[in-house]
Amino acid sequence: MRTSRRIIDLVTRRVVAFGGAVVISTITLIFLYLLWVVMPIFKSAQIEPLVSSTIPKPNVLAFGASPRLEFMYFITARDGLVFAPPGATSATRSLPIGDEELIDARSVFPTRDTYGVLDAKGVLRVVRVVVQAAFDGAERRLETFGEHLFDAAEVPLGEVRDFDVYREVGRLRIVSINAEGRLEFREFEDVEDEFALGSGRLASIELEPSAMAVRFGPRGQWLFVFSAEGRLQLYQVNRVDSIKQVYSGALLVEGAALTALEPLSGRYSWLVADDRGVVTQWTLGRAAEGMGMHALREFSFQRPVRKLRAEQQRKGFLAVDEVGGLHLAHTTSERILARARLDQGDVAQIVFSPRADRIYAITSNDLIQTLAVSNEHPEISWSSLWSRVWYEGYPEPSHTWQSSAAQADFEPKFSLAPLLFGTLKAAFYAMLIASPLAVMGAIYTAYFMAPKMRSWIKPGIEVMAALPTVVLGFLAGLWLAPLVESHLTATLLVFLLLPLGVLFTSFLWHRLPVRFTHRFDGWLGLLCIPLVLVVTWGLFSLDTWLEARLFGGNAKDWFRLQLGLDYDQRNALIVGIAMGLAVIPIIFSIAEDAVHGVPRHLTNGSLALGATPWQTLTRVVILTASPGIFSALMIGFGRAVGETMIVVMATGNTPIMEFNLFEGMRTLAANIAVELPESEIGSSHYSILFLTALVLFAITFLFNTLAEIVRARLREKYAHL
Amino acid sequence: MVAGRNSIGTAGPAWWRTGTPLIWLNALAIAVSLCAVVGLVGLLAVKGLAYFWPSNVVEFEYGEPARGELVIGEIANREIAEVYANDSDAPNMVERWLIKTGNRREHAPDFRWVNREAVSDLRRPRDLVVLQRTEWGNAYGRLTGLREGDAMVAQGADVWPLLQERLLRAESIRSHIKAIESRQIGSINHDLERLRLERRRIELAGGEVPFDLALKERELNSRYHTLEARLRQLEVELGRDSVELEIMSGSLVAVPLGELLRVWRPNSMSLWQKLAHYFRGLGRFLTEDPREANTEGGVFPAIFGTVMMVLLMSVVVTPLGVVAAVYLREYSRQGPLVRVTRIAVNNLAGVPSIVYGVFGLGFFVYLIGGGIDDLFFAEAKPAPTFGTPGLMWASLTLALLTLPVVIVATEEGLTRIPRAIREGSLALGATKAETLFRVVLPIASPSILTGVILAIARAAGEVAPLMLVGVVKLAPSLPVDGNFPYVHLERKFMHLGFHIYDVGFQSPNVEAARPLVFATALLLVLIIVALNITAILLRNKLEQRFGSNELE
Repeated sequence: MRTSRRIIDLVTRRVVAFGGAVVISTITLIFLYLLWVVMPIFKSAQIEPLVSSTIPKPNVLAFGASPRLEFMYFITARDGLVFAPPGATSATRSLPIGDEELIDARSVFPTRDTYGVLDAKGVLRVVRVVVQAAFDGAERRLETFGEHLFDAAEVPLGEVRDFDVYREVGRLRIVSINAEGRLEFREFEDVEDEFALGSGRLASIELEPSAMAVRFGPRGQWLFVFSAEGRLQLYQVNRVDSIKQVYSGALLVEGAALTALEPLSGRYSWLVADDRGVVTQWTLGRAAEGMGMHALREFSFQRPVRKLRAEQQRKGFLAVDEVGGLHLAHTTSERILARARLDQGDVAQIVFSPRADRIYAITSNDLIQTLAVSNEHPEISWSSLWSRVWYEGYPEPSHTWQSSAAQADFEPKFSLAPLLFGTLKAAFYAMLIASPLAVMGAIYTAYFMAPKMRSWIKPGIEVMAALPTVVLGFLAGLWLAPLVESHLTATLLVFLLLPLGVLFTSFLWHRLPVRFTHRFDGWLGLLCIPLVLVVTWGLFSLDTWLEARLFGGNAKDWFRLQLGLDYDQRNALIVGIAMGLAVIPIIFSIAEDAVHGVPRHLTNGSLALGATPWQTLTRVVILTASPGIFSALMIGFGRAVGETMIVVMATGNTPIMEFNLFEGMRTLAANIAVELPESEIGSSHYSILFLTALVLFAITFLFNTLAEIVRARLREKYAHL
Repeated sequence: MVAGRNSIGTAGPAWWRTGTPLIWLNALAIAVSLCAVVGLVGLLAVKGLAYFWPSNVVEFEYGEPARGELVIGEIANREIAEVYANDSDAPNMVERWLIKTGNRREHAPDFRWVNREAVSDLRRPRDLVVLQRTEWGNAYGRLTGLREGDAMVAQGADVWPLLQERLLRAESIRSHIKAIESRQIGSINHDLERLRLERRRIELAGGEVPFDLALKERELNSRYHTLEARLRQLEVELGRDSVELEIMSGSLVAVPLGELLRVWRPNSMSLWQKLAHYFRGLGRFLTEDPREANTEGGVFPAIFGTVMMVLLMSVVVTPLGVVAAVYLREYSRQGPLVRVTRIAVNNLAGVPSIVYGVFGLGFFVYLIGGGIDDLFFAEAKPAPTFGTPGLMWASLTLALLTLPVVIVATEEGLTRIPRAIREGSLALGATKAETLFRVVLPIASPSILTGVILAIARAAGEVAPLMLVGVVKLAPSLPVDGNFPYVHLERKFMHLGFHIYDVGFQSPNVEAARPLVFATALLLVLIIVALNITAILLRNKLEQRFGSNELE
């Protein structure tokens, strides 16, 4: 009997201690888990040399790897298209391209697997490199082959200084600079998709004599022509017979010499390296007159850069300096992410694998060197999250949040600034409405209200705390927003006329005999209700008349024309009111407790010394309770910062940075709710959304802790008074 | 707020010096808050409850006399609008009516605004009917005939009595079809899926697929085909009758009884009939499935999902919260560490709910759920079983979210118990565990209950985290059904709060769906307010009971 009781006691003790510790440590788990998901985005990139081997065939013109790195392919001068597994020294397959020796190969923009190949006679062929899975029953095996597009059509270009090929559905465009320095532009339409090339049309344009390189720009509508001394001519192509030069300018500072050129993926931007070791990002954009090029940013390397290579999908690039040093950088985040050095030989050619997880370099001694790259989140840096960033296609640096778009070559823009701004804006307007109502209401309830009424009011306000925010948001978005839009004047006047009306009533009240008014001392709150109803109803029914008098008929137009404030139907005013209602009960109940908790002997003493109730309130009660009121406001603010559904439903959720009362916002919390379900696990977007959750967690935890400490102090103070 | 020497309260006229105006201002604040709460709940009640009332159907000429068109419909809204005439700057005040004209298939859209001035010859003929259809919303008009196949069986006034009879027949066929579809075919599909998974499991393990597995599959498939044939036959029978309706444009529309749910003639209903209709509508709202992308029909699956989720959550959160509170208050040594923990627990109640949602999605769904799938449900891959948002993860996430509520409430209850009671029990020779189970916990049970009720109220109203961890707009099946293992914790579910968001903001026909959203919102508010009032009453009772104890 005794032992069994002791055992039960011991077991209970252990179970409770263990269970309690587990529950409490679960709480820290939340924080640690969020941190664990977020950490990788701040991990620095790394480049590790893997293997180096002899290339399977010599005289490589172009080369690359399949997306899953199963095969490498080489376009060589004498052996055509050659396939080999990475690291292999002999080819598994080689396929000839034409009969002549090949002299140049260029990847067809914007594809990643098709090449324009030029032979010694100046004939161009278009070849697709295919690595695909085939199934032999259940067994998966890889097929490698090359496909001649357009039934092996041959396009004679003649002797050229440079050429480029552009491909879109139904159309092939070829541009070249011939030996005399003239630009030749050819356009072909498909006869049956990819099976045959229709008759081509040719345009020829005079260029400056030193023109040496030409490339297509986005959508094949632009031509970039570079001269040896670093000048760029930009041509716009509408049709074959309408090619206009729209811009011409120098890419280099005076006295510098061009050492390397490379377009970023999407070809909106060009990286231009000079002999001082500076790489400049020039981007296509709207200029004062038509289109032009803007220098977005510069990267400085210690030594002159000999080669540049851009990643195929992101806005990152690799710079190779004259001593063989590799520098991995990302343009948008303006970071040099990692550096490495090749073991031996000069770099002849260097490429990224399609997913930028490998770098392959062919060196002058016919070795191919493979480097592994771990660089998951290059686009994220402290500055790209919080500072203005100059994105391609934007007229100036900006804070932009845009995580997805319809275009394929879209660059996600992850600036947290507009989201944080929106969060603070929503919380600010909510607090602007909630704090006077809640604090003053709490003071009245705790200090002036008849106890009988108080016993009804407190549960009433607690019920208000229980109203689900989804209901508040729904009412705000579908009922309040249209109502306020059509009665804007009345809504704004309510905020002004209610206090004025109350002051006027109190003036009249003062005139009434004290014997009569005295009876209602604790019930003023109830007396105000008809006033609120009458004033609100009156203003709303007189809205049209008031609007005509005050704003000349249309308040929204007036705000736009006179003050330059645009009006959205779902705006900060609506959010302020709805979220204000959600935080009023929280502020109210804590503030009310603080005011009510002020010891009676303090107020009695003050009243006994002849102070009026109002003097007692301001000099004694509020002073004593102010830490409690302060902590109530902080907790209310924390709540407003994290509120999700009201903001999702009552604003347009556009991530703008305008403090305008009549425009919406996108908050951190709403952004998570809207975007996380569609986000891919492990992507930068996913990690950043976790980061925003962590930021929210940290902000609210900080504010609540502060409030909690202040309250604990206050409780101690009350105990001593 | 702090008054300086010359500020409010000490200078100015006598009226100002007393501070009364400022007291009035404070009173105003509480009045505004009260008006807002009562107004909001009142608005929900009026708009939500009006949804089920069979409003009268009006008929009027619209436009110039004798040349206008005929409009039939319900008056959904009246408002005074400003209309700017071409030649003057001052707006004209015009009364406008929003008419629900229905007949969306025939004349979309189903709502239109009309100017009161252009309405003439407004009447409420007793023979106007409202047809509630399974698709395309309501139809309004006059019944002209009833057909059985191609043969006209009733015309004019004879249609109404015969239609009631035929509707009953259609209703019974429809419920028969539904029973076959959801029960029998549903369970066959369920069994087939289980057989497929079993076959896959055996294949993955490299074993030989037993012969009887294929036999079972064949048998199930043949049963399926029999049922399908029966269904086709029933559908033919269901399509036999159709009713002919003259709608407001004057054209005749045939509505098969298979698509017809209910018919009523609001203009000839007595008050009692209307009340009966009202409560039947209310009952259907609570017990039926939604129709037409959630914009019509009931919200039963959402109620069921909410209740299921909340129940599961309370089963998890109650023991965890109580154990943590007992540990903090009764077993741990009181010191700075416990104080810090207490503050941290308090603060967790203030962490935004969406953060819990993010944690739930990452930790529960992807990490733990993904792990469970790899270990136990490899045969179902690549389709995830637990590695996707679902009921279980939603309940666990909300349990975490409401844990601080239960801990704080329980701790408060434990603090209230006077030391003397514990010491008395110990002095009588009881062990600490016995004191805990026989004395402390029973006394604290009302506070624990209060905490759990508050947790339930909070969980029932949360939407943001659920959007990440398991709620969907339309769940194909309830989380509980007649197929083994009967309770499907991995399934996605519907939720009243999310239903409000989805129907109110994502539905294609917001105007038509709005009354339903009001009704749903009212339902949710009523549930939550009822829970909260229960908690408040419990707490008040508790305060009375222990008020005297503390004095001893």
